[in-house]
Amino acid sequence: MSLEQTDGQKVYTNDDDSEEPEIDRGLFEAWAAKTIKNPKRTYKALFYTATIFFLVTTLFPFYWLFMVALTPRRNLQDVGLVPSGFDPSLLAQGDLTMGTNPGVFLEVFTIIPFHRYMFNSFVIATVTTIVVIIVASLAGYVFGRLRFPGKGPLMLLVLIVSFFPPAAFFIPLNDLFNTNIDILRPILADGSLYNTPYAMVVPFSAIFMPLSIFILTTFYSQIPDGLEDAARIEGTTRLGALFRVIMPLSAPGVATAGVLTFIAVYNEFFFSFLMTDGSADNWAPIVDGILQYQGQYEVLFNVMAAASIVGVLPVAILVVVAQEKIVSGLTAGALKE
Amino acid sequence: MATDHTNSPAETGADSGGVFSGFLTWMENLSEAAYAYLLLIPGFLLLALVAFYPLLSTLRMSLLADETRGAEPLGGFVGLENYIDVFTGDTRLSRQVIDVALTSDFPFLELGTPFFRQALFVTLAFAILSVLFETIIGFGQAMVLNQEFEGRRWVRVAIILPWAIPIVIQGMLFFLMFQPTVGFGSEIMQSIGLFGDNPLASSRDSFIIVLVADIWKTSAFMALLILAGLQSVDRSLYDVAKVSGATPWQRFKLITLPIVMPALIVAMLFRTMDAMRVYGIIESTASCSTVPSMTCLVIDGLFGGTRIYGTAAAVAFLTAALIGVFIAVYLAKFRDSEGGFM
Repeated sequence: MSLEQTDGQKVYTNDDDSEEPEIDRGLFEAWAAKTIKNPKRTYKALFYTATIFFLVTTLFPFYWLFMVALTPRRNLQDVGLVPSGFDPSLLAQGDLTMGTNPGVFLEVFTIIPFHRYMFNSFVIATVTTIVVIIVASLAGYVFGRLRFPGKGPLMLLVLIVSFFPPAAFFIPLNDLFNTNIDILRPILADGSLYNTPYAMVVPFSAIFMPLSIFILTTFYSQIPDGLEDAARIEGTTRLGALFRVIMPLSAPGVATAGVLTFIAVYNEFFFSFLMTDGSADNWAPIVDGILQYQGQYEVLFNVMAAASIVGVLPVAILVVVAQEKIVSGLTAGALKE
Repeated sequence: MATDHTNSPAETGADSGGVFSGFLTWMENLSEAAYAYLLLIPGFLLLALVAFYPLLSTLRMSLLADETRGAEPLGGFVGLENYIDVFTGDTRLSRQVIDVALTSDFPFLELGTPFFRQALFVTLAFAILSVLFETIIGFGQAMVLNQEFEGRRWVRVAIILPWAIPIVIQGMLFFLMFQPTVGFGSEIMQSIGLFGDNPLASSRDSFIIVLVADIWKTSAFMALLILAGLQSVDRSLYDVAKVSGATPWQRFKLITLPIVMPALIVAMLFRTMDAMRVYGIIESTASCSTVPSMTCLVIDGLFGGTRIYGTAAAVAFLTAALIGVFIAVYLAKFRDSEGGFM
């Protein structure tokens, strides 16, 4: 049988031990010869291995989190690749959940007002984004299109802010926001900014503004002068030219800066965690919401997992929709700096 | 003029419009430089309130004595005493910033407290290791994304996704993964002998968890910046190299690497700055007392058992100084070689 066969096929038989090394080499040599003749094959194999590796390492944690969420609480000791207790045959008996626990996604909102925390995060992120876009537009226009003395040092000053750790800003800001300021009394209950969205919007606007300034500087500087001049001759004011001509023409850049600011604020930990007392009615964002589940008297791992998934959804959708903007924004902004 | 002698509300409206249009006219007539400074005012006001003033104020606080009781949290001027105390370990912080003694034997240093309980070492080790691994993995991801293939868009989404999730959720994810009851991570690490019995309570094991969590989340950032560098490589260079018989490794070393280098250095600089400030992921997985970073100690000084604002401010400024040193090293080392990235 095997002895009459060709070298390449002999490897599948092992009835002749003495010949095995040579057979092995034959196979390896055949493989090596193939590779040398066609190196693209090897690269392709390498490429697919790497791609699959990266896909698994980035996505598996999310998948596992989903499985933890769906596992009924009594089975949490053994979460596997499917929720423990998962049994498709239950479907035949009319049990649509198939032994899993999708109700956990409702529990997320009943144990603590998680929707309120998410709403707070949305409001804070949206307001910050609007403030950043307006203020950074003015600065980006100046740095990108105007010539004036002191431009370099002023840009450097903006950049320097991003070198400092938030901890270095935090102590005085915390003091400042806890001070009762009389002129604020008409709008705020006790005149202090602590436990209001402003305590987060103000620091976030300053901290995330430098990146937007650099992105918008790049985009605004690329609009041809002729278009601005034409608008000015038509009778537009200087500010009008910025907001009615340059900004709309740089819409992709503005969207990029907006998306990155929104994600950065939504994801921020430091100020979000420390600038409120953690109660939903006091504008605490999702950071405090998620951590609340850790502090429950009963350990609710499946609810923690479900809340995490709910919290990730908005940014996940944003990433799918705006991935080009994120890529171009990060590279344009960072490489500019 | 019809409106000259009427006294209707319309005129008041026209008046305020006059003020506004007067402002616009005034703005129209400004010189380019004056207009530039005017538009920069809002941005710099914001920066002054949130960045410049607090920075200077923190610097001042770090030179004042701690007042642990009494109405005022800060005492008189003590000069650099807070900084010296931080280095000698003579503070009320729950963890030491640095605690080593010189000895006569090799390696001439003796650790007073375990390595992973000293904030300076934790912060430095975290910054160096995370940036190293993120660079390697990010490079791999960028090489994959630099190919043309079916479904590239979705692979890119998958790679960016960890970068885009909130830190607190990243923390929760890794807390659950290494939590002994639900998680599988600790079992795997224990079976290969890396972790002890209770990883989330052990400083060394928790450090590794925090490190893995950070690498998982931020490799994508490195990948995107490196990808930008890769895409600026002129493809015809590869063709020329291929014709001259360069091996793939030579092509990588002699063409890809030098062109990607500036982007790579900027990316590493950004990541190092960020890694030195690590706080959120520690607080939401292992807690600050297990893995004390520099920022953790600042918060500890403010909200911990005793109120030590002066010391906390000194630690905050030391963190900033540490970041400054790293930036200076990066710039000094790479500025001349690659010019033009700042």
